[in-house]
Amino acid sequence: MDSPREKDQMPGFLALLIRVNLIQAWRRLKSIVQQSRLLASIICAFIAGYAWISFWLFHKGLKFVEQFPGLGPLLTERLLFLLFAFLFVLLLFSSLVISYTNYFRNRETAFLLTLPIPRQQIFRWKSIESAVLASWAFIFLTAPLLAAYGLTRGVPWHFYCVTVVLLALFIVLPSIAGSWIAVSLGRYMDRRAFQIAALICVGAILVGAAFWLKAEPVTDEMLETRVLAVMDRLLEKTRFAQFPFLPSYWLSSGVLNWSEGAFASAGFFALVLLSHVLFFGVLSFTRTGGLFFDAVSTVQSRGSVLARWAWFRTWQSRTEQHYERQEPLRRVIDLLFWLRADTRAFLVKDIRIFWRDTSQWAQTLVLFGLLGVYIINLRHFSHQLSNPFWINLVSFLNLGACALNLATLTTRFVYPQFSLEGKRLWIVGMAPMGLKRMVTIKFALAGWTSLAVTLGLIVLSCGMLNVRWDRVLYFAFAITIMTFTLNGLAVGLGVLYPNFKEDNPSKIVSGFGGTFCLVLSFLYIAGSVALLAIGSPWDISGEFRLLRIAVGMGGFVSMSILLGYFPLIFALRKVTAFEI
Amino acid sequence: MIELINLKKHFGGLVAVDGINLSVPRGEFLAMLGPNAAGKTTTIRMIAGLIKPSAGRIIVAGYDLESDSLAARRRMAYVPDFPFLYDKLTPSEFLRFTGQLFELSESSINSAAADLIERFSLGPYLNKPIEGLSHGTRQRVAIVSALLHQPEVFVIDEPMVGLDPFHARVVKDVLKERSRSGMTVFLSTHQLSVAEEMADRIAIMHQGRIVAVGTREELREKSGASGPLEHTFLALTSQEANLAEENAATG
Repeated sequence: MDSPREKDQMPGFLALLIRVNLIQAWRRLKSIVQQSRLLASIICAFIAGYAWISFWLFHKGLKFVEQFPGLGPLLTERLLFLLFAFLFVLLLFSSLVISYTNYFRNRETAFLLTLPIPRQQIFRWKSIESAVLASWAFIFLTAPLLAAYGLTRGVPWHFYCVTVVLLALFIVLPSIAGSWIAVSLGRYMDRRAFQIAALICVGAILVGAAFWLKAEPVTDEMLETRVLAVMDRLLEKTRFAQFPFLPSYWLSSGVLNWSEGAFASAGFFALVLLSHVLFFGVLSFTRTGGLFFDAVSTVQSRGSVLARWAWFRTWQSRTEQHYERQEPLRRVIDLLFWLRADTRAFLVKDIRIFWRDTSQWAQTLVLFGLLGVYIINLRHFSHQLSNPFWINLVSFLNLGACALNLATLTTRFVYPQFSLEGKRLWIVGMAPMGLKRMVTIKFALAGWTSLAVTLGLIVLSCGMLNVRWDRVLYFAFAITIMTFTLNGLAVGLGVLYPNFKEDNPSKIVSGFGGTFCLVLSFLYIAGSVALLAIGSPWDISGEFRLLRIAVGMGGFVSMSILLGYFPLIFALRKVTAFEI
Repeated sequence: MIELINLKKHFGGLVAVDGINLSVPRGEFLAMLGPNAAGKTTTIRMIAGLIKPSAGRIIVAGYDLESDSLAARRRMAYVPDFPFLYDKLTPSEFLRFTGQLFELSESSINSAAADLIERFSLGPYLNKPIEGLSHGTRQRVAIVSALLHQPEVFVIDEPMVGLDPFHARVVKDVLKERSRSGMTVFLSTHQLSVAEEMADRIAIMHQGRIVAVGTREELREKSGASGPLEHTFLALTSQEANLAEENAATG
């Protein structure tokens, strides 16, 4: 038996779990470097480049805003409130999605639940892990901004230390809220109920945004004579970010007050944050374990809470029987009669798996929700533009924005497709279809589906910006090439860097290949937009016109072939000799 | 040592486990057999504490799994058919980790592990990352880690998956030895030969209910079928299926 002294020296459960997972993370990082030093260096350079460029842009932007006569500091302040309010919502959503996956679809959670570890401790560890996974991007985004803000304001050194503490406190609140919502969703909603609720929520947000962002025309006369009144109307729309019960308000106020030397006020807001963190933290860390286990058990039991009522069970069984009889998806896919039967079966399988995976669904909805808000905004943006230079610039930036959205979709959803086949790969591998055709089908499905989205998006956004039809055709041609390139890159790298051990697509994407895919996609988009602008036939005149068009278009097409075609070809070669 | 009292589990409208009662005394080796979707894995997952029963109670080593869950799990070990292991750790690190989760000291872990590592031939793999090990070796690591704290109750789902004949033999021998020295073993399998060779009693589950439980001979008597266990199994499960059909027909 162990002596009492030996028992005293044992680390606690939480410390053990943190230690083991830190070792895992460190070794994963080391294996990425060992895999390819060159590619690891490219990723490091990209991260450093991002930090530097964003810091520089934020610094320039803040300096520009600060110079507005009489309004500079007010605008900067409002921008900070707005930014943290939006980041709070994003952080909340990100925590919700990651916590849900981490609690209910994670093999480590199932393993730990069978061990003599109190459920509260498991919940504690999984919540910490989810908070870290959800908030690293927030730190990545805000660090350059706050550094730029400090430099613009010429703050003392201790501003940066206090800001780190305030940020650390702030992150805890959306993480706790996200984890509680995840537990409640797991407990009370099955997949279908969640899908319906999510659709309703996104619809409500879009309607709300459309109503809230209604254009209020401003005449030149008003801009000349009643600037303050116009500014007041503009700021009125952003006042929600200063709602005093929002944690983002406490963070922004703390940061702003400290930068202005109002230490007592900043201290007050820091204490407000701290007291909420302690209150909700204690509740979460000491009282949620039982609810968490109830939710895990309910999710694992697959049954809906509504199933306790007979009417729901009858309705569910009728719907299922109707679906089995009708098979609407199969009927739609069967309309593609020119495709082979096995190809159609594969398409049905891929679409069904995506549709039935709640976490995939939820993230797609967020992306489309953001797109909706973006389009709604463009409608009003075009009213303000009369100069052709600005219309031209905005239309190219719009192309970049659409392509960036596409890159997020391809990296997040297309890249992990091959790895997700995982242990089932042999089914296709041994079938007459073969892996090569499977990869081609995945590319075609992803390519044509995302083309429908991006093409619609580019035409709609160009329409909102009142861009001429010949230019719309130019952008449509560009986005078509970019769609197939980005999908080729994602499918290709997904096959070249597979991860069959992981079931969770978020974790597959966060590995080396996924990060590399994202970095290459972003570089490709930046390069393409620049080359398309250089080769734009409407904006050049003089003796080098043809040469510039040739360089721009030639460069764009060559880069597309290099980053889209070649990875796909290498991937197809690899699967031809793939050992299952 | 394991008591299942009127245990029920519903998945929405589907009844997966339909009020089973079963008592497995200390030191008994019980094998649970049944066709696919009989409710074996659901029963095992409830005993392991992964899901809550819809009704009924589970007593493990004298502790109620609902009200005294921690004490029950401290005395139990569970090995699923595809166990979870931390891929980037080595078997040696993983064994130390699980030992510490059961609050064993370094010296207790080392002494308990030494014999098991030798018997399961894990020596050459101890310091290699788990991600590079074969399925069989991973299965052996999982079994060793589960035996480390000398559990009173050992629950295992399909223990022979991925094991070569030599290591399958080792698993059988070790489990039988531990069972003789007081460990209760609750095993679920589709391999009738494993149940026939190892189990003191066999429980046959069908459509969420235990249709028969007893020694090999008792089951043979009940089924009226002679010959190998396969005949007994098929006779008992088809009798039950026929009975269910008749009941459905007569309303």
